[in-house]
Order: sequence, then C-alpha cells, then structure tokens
Amino acid sequence: MTNHEKLRDLIIDTFLLEPSEYSLELRRENVDTWDSLGIVSMAVGVHETFGYHFTPDEATGIESVADIVRILESKGISFAEG
Amino acid sequence: MRFPEHPARWNVEQLRGELARGDAFLWSLERFRERATERLGVPSVAGLSEVPASARRLVVLGGGAMIDEAKVWRRETRPDLWLAALPSLFGSGAEASPVAVLNRDGVKKIEVDERLLPDVRVVWPELLEDLPPARLRAAAGDALSHALEGFLSPLADEELRGSLAEILAGLLALPLAPDPDWFEASAAACAAQSRAGVGLVHGIAHQLEGRLAGERDGAGFAFGHAKLCSLFLAPVLAFDRAHSPKLAELAVLHGIDLAVLETRAWQLFDGEDYSRCLPALEANWRAVLLDPCTRTNSVLVRPQHLAFFTEERFR
Repeated sequence: MTNHEKLRDLIIDTFLLEPSEYSLELRRENVDTWDSLGIVSMAVGVHETFGYHFTPDEATGIESVADIVRILESKGISFAEG
Repeated sequence: MRFPEHPARWNVEQLRGELARGDAFLWSLERFRERATERLGVPSVAGLSEVPASARRLVVLGGGAMIDEAKVWRRETRPDLWLAALPSLFGSGAEASPVAVLNRDGVKKIEVDERLLPDVRVVWPELLEDLPPARLRAAAGDALSHALEGFLSPLADEELRGSLAEILAGLLALPLAPDPDWFEASAAACAAQSRAGVGLVHGIAHQLEGRLAGERDGAGFAFGHAKLCSLFLAPVLAFDRAHSPKLAELAVLHGIDLAVLETRAWQLFDGEDYSRCLPALEANWRAVLLDPCTRTNSVLVRPQHLAFFTEERFR
C-alpha cells in the first residue's frame, strides 16, 4: 500500500467519510468531524501509520489533507510514489 | 503520591460538625435516606427542587449520576450553596471531578467546569457493607478504566501520566473486596483523568448504557455505566495492545506490570454479560466512534475494528 493510500484510508476512517468524499484538497471546514477531537484522533492515527508525532502547533494548523502531506514530506516521509 | 488536587476528604464526623451549623439538607438515595438522616442529623429532601431557598448546605448521597446532577444544579441554581458529595459507592469519582456526565433525553452530555467541583467529598466506609460482589466488580472496573484510559490518553502530559501510573498501581494493589481505600484511589483516578480524558471503554459505556436500559445482567443488575466499563476493560485493553505498542512502551516506562493489569481486567470480565451487549454495540458502533471519549483513545478506533470486539474469544 502506498503512503497516499494509507493516508486516504486514515482520513476516511478518522472522520468517517465516504470514499468519494476524499481528496487531497479536502479541507477541515468542509468536514463536520474534523473538530478539535478529530485533530486528536487524526494525530494518533498519523503516528500509528507513519511514525510521526505532530507538534500541537502543527496539528492545530492543519487546514487540509494537502497540509498533512506537506508536513509529512518535510519529515522525510515520501508521497512521491504513484 | 502526586495526586492532582481534588476536594478535601472528610469523614462523617467532620461532615456532621459542619452540618450542625444549620440550614443543612440531605438529598439521598432512597435506600440510605433514613440511615443518613439519622447519622447526619439533618432533614432530607426528595429532590433538588425541594431544597429550600434558606438552605446554606447540601449533602448529596448517591452514585455518580446523582452527584453529577447535584453539581450541575448547584452551579446553575444555587452557586452560593455549600455542597458535600458523599458517594454511596466508589468508582465514578464524581465526588472529586470537575466533570459532569448528564443524560438529557437519552443523550449523554459531558461538561467540564471547575465550578462543578463539590466543596468536600465524604467517605462513609460503612456504606460498603452488604455490597453485592457484582456491584463491587463493576465499580472497580469504572475506577480502573479512569486510571488506565487517562494514563494512555494522547492528551496527558508526562507529569500527569506519572501521577496516573501511581494511581493505577495503587488501584491494582487493592483487593476485590469492600475496602474503603477504593474510595480514595478511585477519587484520585477520576480527578486525574479529568485533566486528560478517557478512551474507548468510556466511549462504549456512554453510548450503550442508555440503549441497554431495562436489560439485566446475569446477576440481575442493570447494564449501567460501571458495569459496562468492567465488561469492556479487558477487550479494549486487548485491542489497544494489538494495534499499538504504546501501552507496552508506557507500561515499561512507568513501571506498570501489564500481567497484573490484564489479570485484574479479566477478573472483571463476564463472557455471558458481554455477549448480551454485543447486539447493541454492533447497532451503535458509529455512535461509539463519534463519542468524544472514543476520539481520545490511545489507539485510533476505525469502523472495521468492530470485528475485533465480536471475536469468539470474548464470548
């Protein structure tokens, strides 16, 4: 499974989305469950999946899936595949 | 022990002395009302709406739900009133917590507010006399769940986690018997976890307790909050361990003996009662996933994880 696929599954499972709702452009303000507790769940899931702990500032500053990718890539986790 | 602050602990004699200053009333579970009225020397009221405007002191004697009702009522209606919380049983820790879990039209609502803290908490060990073993195991499960889930919470900082590790070890050292030390340890667990949140055990309990209202477990008791915590503690522990090394790593770091923890959790488990809960768990899994407590679980809980809890080994 590619890192993109892992992230897609993580976002869908964390925020209880339909697969069709997912995209890299998905933004926090468009997801009801992406609230403060959703951020906690997502951070837990990112650590389990990618081994990286968001700092509190990173976690609360994330506004979209693309932001997650950007932070993880800056930590050496590649999303270049496929 | 570095317990986070919680209301001062009084004994019944200290409470009686305070109540003797006058204008004091008791709101009690019916089964303790006569005994408590006599022991405390104050009149009782049948409900909070009957507390007179002249009252200056109120004692609430009951379980967690009743204590939470009094805490919220005092904040909203009579913030000038001195409030003593006297738990009829340990476990909920409501007497020591700024959290109130309220049932409003069948929906659980959680409030966190320092103004909810009672002025004192009172321990009356004799109330544990005649406590049925099934009730005691349920209360122990509630207390242990508070300590364990607070300890594992992603919102706990290292200092709080250290306190919760000590509290957890203290709880595990207590016998499954009506020992009054359970009151102190469970109050500390609840006060500490209120600063970090809990996890999936509580998410399940909050979502199922109302939906299982009217059903009885094998001992003839309701599937209340404490009972559900005691039933799901061991399976959730197994789930957390199966899906993340976090529990094992933190246990080593803080000197928690996982074998002792797991043994105690399984002592509180009952396969037949667990099986009775499964249809409700399956029907309400999405609500469990959305519960605020589930969302601060130490391991991300995904939709497909329901299958873990319906495995044959738990039945």
